[in-house]
Amino acid sequence: MTSPHRCGVRTSGSDPVSESTAAISLKRFRVPENLRGLAACAVLFAIMAATTEGMASVENLRSIGTAAIPLFLLALGQMAVIISGGIDLSVTATMALSSITGAVVMRETGSTAAGVTAMLTVGAAIGLINGAAVAWLRLPPFMVTLTTQMFLSGLAVWAVQSKNIGGISPGFVRIGKEVGIAAGIAVVCGLLGHVLLRKSVWGRQLFATGFNAEAARFSGLPVPWVRVRSYIAGGLLAAAAAVILTARLETGSPVLGQRMLLDVIGAAVLGGVSLHGGRGHVLWVLGGALFFSVLDNALNLRGLSHFKIMMAKGGVLLAAAALDAWRSKTS
Amino acid sequence: MEEQNVMKRVFDHASLLLLLTAAIVFGIMEPRFLAWSNLTNILTQSSSSIVAATGMTFVLLTAGVDLSLGAMMFLCAAAAGKMALAGQPLPACAAAMLGCGILCGAVNATAVVWLRVLPFIVTLATLYLGRGLALTITETRAMNLPEAWLGLGRPSIAISISAAVVTVAEITLRYTVYGRHLYAVGAARRIAEYAGLPSRRLVFSVYVVSGACAAIAALLTLGQLGAVSPKFGENREFTAIAAAVLGGTSLFGGRGGVFPGAVFGALLMQSIETGLVMVNADPYLYPMIMASVIFAVVLLDARRRKPGRA
Repeated sequence: MTSPHRCGVRTSGSDPVSESTAAISLKRFRVPENLRGLAACAVLFAIMAATTEGMASVENLRSIGTAAIPLFLLALGQMAVIISGGIDLSVTATMALSSITGAVVMRETGSTAAGVTAMLTVGAAIGLINGAAVAWLRLPPFMVTLTTQMFLSGLAVWAVQSKNIGGISPGFVRIGKEVGIAAGIAVVCGLLGHVLLRKSVWGRQLFATGFNAEAARFSGLPVPWVRVRSYIAGGLLAAAAAVILTARLETGSPVLGQRMLLDVIGAAVLGGVSLHGGRGHVLWVLGGALFFSVLDNALNLRGLSHFKIMMAKGGVLLAAAALDAWRSKTS
Repeated sequence: MEEQNVMKRVFDHASLLLLLTAAIVFGIMEPRFLAWSNLTNILTQSSSSIVAATGMTFVLLTAGVDLSLGAMMFLCAAAAGKMALAGQPLPACAAAMLGCGILCGAVNATAVVWLRVLPFIVTLATLYLGRGLALTITETRAMNLPEAWLGLGRPSIAISISAAVVTVAEITLRYTVYGRHLYAVGAARRIAEYAGLPSRRLVFSVYVVSGACAAIAALLTLGQLGAVSPKFGENREFTAIAAAVLGGTSLFGGRGGVFPGAVFGALLMQSIETGLVMVNADPYLYPMIMASVIFAVVLLDARRRKPGRA
């Protein structure tokens, strides 16, 4: 009987004062939450630029930016899926299938518009399949997308007998040649994503579903459909990334972006998108995508082999996931 | 009611029924498939998958998953390969593999239990860490092991090793307190904790078991291949998950077992692979067929869970 009372006295006594001053002094040095990913990226860049030769050259900065654009698009799509409480491990297969489909369509029709439409359609269709399996058949997301990853990458390689597809229309190649176009696509997708997430019913429903699916269902939200939409968005953005990468390669490749999965998941999680769903922001992913591009670039400049880079990224992903788990435990 | 019972029976014996179906289909397409030599061949080749699926079953029982299984196998094999080429005897290498597997499992377990990270993310990250480390050790080159290693691939030895692992695992799960506790934690972790079960220690242990099984599976695979290639163990986690789930182990935890489930599941996966080779199927189709089988299995698992008590 007395202990809660005493507790009350104590908290209204000396503690709150010291606590609040501590909080204020900490807050003064605290980076705003939305900029944390970018801040982490800036710190990494500063360290790497100081210790690695050629890191801060204009040319190299340009190559980091070039690499970050498709990664940002992919991570943006991954974020939509993760916010809904899922995960999409099939993004690289989506890109590959979309790449060869677009290339074949362009080779046959010669039209850039037809090619891009075909690629986006493939992305959306794969998103729909993943989403349907997760939302309506209620299968575990990581298992569904692992199997679709395996199936679709097999399909892509089989369909073209593991050959690259040439004959891409010159208009399409321009998307890859001029970084401005790719950057424009990224900016439009980023802004659109931000408005959708923060200002639209679509976004509010997505956060509500990811935060607490049960509560969302009781409030009358179409939870399965919200989930399906998030996978479609993920598929579309993966296809958009495939457009840029295919245009850069000037060929449709059945193994496009094969090694990007770790970067995509890592960028989203490192940015602070919670794997438990319900939390995410466009700027977080931007920070995450830039972080992984800087990391990749710096380690490459230092002459590390691709498997050592793979280890480093795996370590970063584990650390970021641990941080996420710690945050969701304490908050 | 009657119909539900029939369906339940069918689901419960899905792996056996599918195994028979596969045997009949491949047997009709290629009679050599049913030859005695081929059947023992399948049994020998699946011995390593059986062991891997056994480890995976332990993890799945606690509603976790271990995607790093193939990477752990590669790491163990790489370590053993280095030792063998340095002239170490086989038993020393095998012991080192086991130690390496247990250590890898403990790393996964630490991240899952103490850092509370979702199992599939932990093991996805350690998949890349493990493969990267193993590629560093092997310098991305293939290593050919001494002749003695191929002795492990003899049918009698491979089958008895896997049978021993399965027997120990099955007895542990079915008749020991530890085994029963695993089911309890997997079925309802919160309730098991209220009942005083050491859930964290139990979950920790399954990843270690999975690591140890990965080491043994790698040993058996080495016995057959006699070499460590940079692709060693790739995608083995998928076949292990598929085999375990085919055998009735649920991805949602608390249900399943090693025998007959996982064993027949692994045999089925191996039969499909061997069968496809024998009927000269387009190798590009393998991953698609395997993925379809796994998808069907996962779908079956979700359906199976639905009518039961949630």
